[in-house]
Amino acid sequence: MSTETCLQTAASLLAAWAQETTGPEPGRADVVIASGDLIAAAGALIDARWGYLTAITGLDLGPDDGRLEVLYHFACGAAIVTFRVRVPREGAAVPSLVSVIPSVSFYERELMEMFGVTVEGTPNTDKLFLPEDWPDGVYPLRKDFSMEQLNGQGGG
Amino acid sequence: MPTEKFVIPIGPQHPALKEPGHFEFNVDGEVVKAASVRLGYVHRGIEKGCETRNYVQAAYLVERICGICSHVHATAFSLGVERLADVEAPPRAQAIRQIVAELERIHSHLLWVGVAAHEAGFDTLFMYSWRDRETVMNLLEGITGNRVNYSANVLGGVKCDIGPEQAEVILEGLRFLEERTRHYLEVVSTDAVFLRRTRGIGVMTRDDAERLGVVGPTARASGVPRDVRVDAPYLLYREHPVELIVEQAGDLEARFKVRVRELFESFRVIRELLAALPDGDLTTRMPRRIKPAETVSRIEAPRGELFYFIKSNGSDTAERVKVRTPTLPNMASVVVTAVGHQLADVPMILAGIDPCFSCNDRMAVVRQGGEAEVWTWERLRQYGIEHYR
Repeated sequence: MSTETCLQTAASLLAAWAQETTGPEPGRADVVIASGDLIAAAGALIDARWGYLTAITGLDLGPDDGRLEVLYHFACGAAIVTFRVRVPREGAAVPSLVSVIPSVSFYERELMEMFGVTVEGTPNTDKLFLPEDWPDGVYPLRKDFSMEQLNGQGGG
Repeated sequence: MPTEKFVIPIGPQHPALKEPGHFEFNVDGEVVKAASVRLGYVHRGIEKGCETRNYVQAAYLVERICGICSHVHATAFSLGVERLADVEAPPRAQAIRQIVAELERIHSHLLWVGVAAHEAGFDTLFMYSWRDRETVMNLLEGITGNRVNYSANVLGGVKCDIGPEQAEVILEGLRFLEERTRHYLEVVSTDAVFLRRTRGIGVMTRDDAERLGVVGPTARASGVPRDVRVDAPYLLYREHPVELIVEQAGDLEARFKVRVRELFESFRVIRELLAALPDGDLTTRMPRRIKPAETVSRIEAPRGELFYFIKSNGSDTAERVKVRTPTLPNMASVVVTAVGHQLADVPMILAGIDPCFSCNDRMAVVRQGGEAEVWTWERLRQYGIEHYR
């Protein structure tokens, strides 16, 4: 399947949930998806055997913007389709994809500890990369993280 | 009498070359019933570090993510940043990047053959493959000045050239390595003792491999035709392609064969590139500040697809650098394939995905509700060897 065909197939599979679609680069499509539609949209790609989930990127838009973005990158050949799920920084939460992609657990654990995004329904909420004594509520890849948050708390 | 269950923690100082990990295996007698993983023992916050260092500094930082496949990190990062800046490295630089990448694959795969042979108790193969690996390490040092962390890349090109004399040295090294690799292929596919440790062990079906999203040789050994060099060619892989190497069996033997067979493709494509090395500059001008944009950069590392997401913000420093290394999805497969196997097979199954090992690993056997007994990794390895004696 050519890259163009891959992207067209994905666009038609995702039509029901895509709030906005952009093409940031050749071979890529960014699709804004509501967090409530995430499982259905991912399921549509997986059921059609459209590629695989290659990574989840957390993106903090900063305290001024007040939102986080969770990017789900799916790859099919040279084509990359990215779901952009926007959630508020306060009480950030997305549903777990483990029901459609059983191996997603590692990526979700990383997202939880680094960005403080609650992944609802994920089977394992243990730390994956951070130390056990890392302080609660401190998320190192958020933009307002500072080393002071670790001082005096026995963490880090 | 109720069956006693044991939880066997391995690590955390276990595959300490690149990514130490901590595994817990639930065993019922000899058989593994469940497994879990905990990573992060060498987590250095490099993604965060890239947000406070400019692109030039970050290029040095990402090269140090892995001590074995450092060049792929620098290449994936450079290609991504160059794309954000609308800059393309000159063809000669791209060819040299690809040559170094394939030499790095040869060094990484030979290293793996040795480590995996050692885990099986086949130390002769370990010694020979590591001796031969010195040849490719010397070639890399000859080109870049470094045995590891070659630093061949700069943003916008490469900092080392390959002249005709250097090319001749490389070709001579490849002749020796190719002959040795033919021998290794024969050993891993015919040695009866070795095959007892690899054939039918750690089987992952194609369905499982696709479901788990594994990448690289681990996927290709289960019949999944997945290789970024072929699927989404970068550098000069479109003009000088490599053939996709796939095996169907999905066991450890297949993982050995895929990696060893891939070496012949690396030898071939390096020769092809040396014969057709484009003339011209090694670098092109890079802007210091980069307009706001986002890019995805994917590279086929020795262990599989390496994924970079880079977001620029108009300054000389990235807004976000996300790295997903191939070991992360492949690690998920260990947890699944180990289940149902003998404890004695665990060292080989772990080695099969090519995480990075070290000898100073520790392992503890804990009897639930009883006294703890500490095992070293060496003892588990020995246990595996004795089991098959």
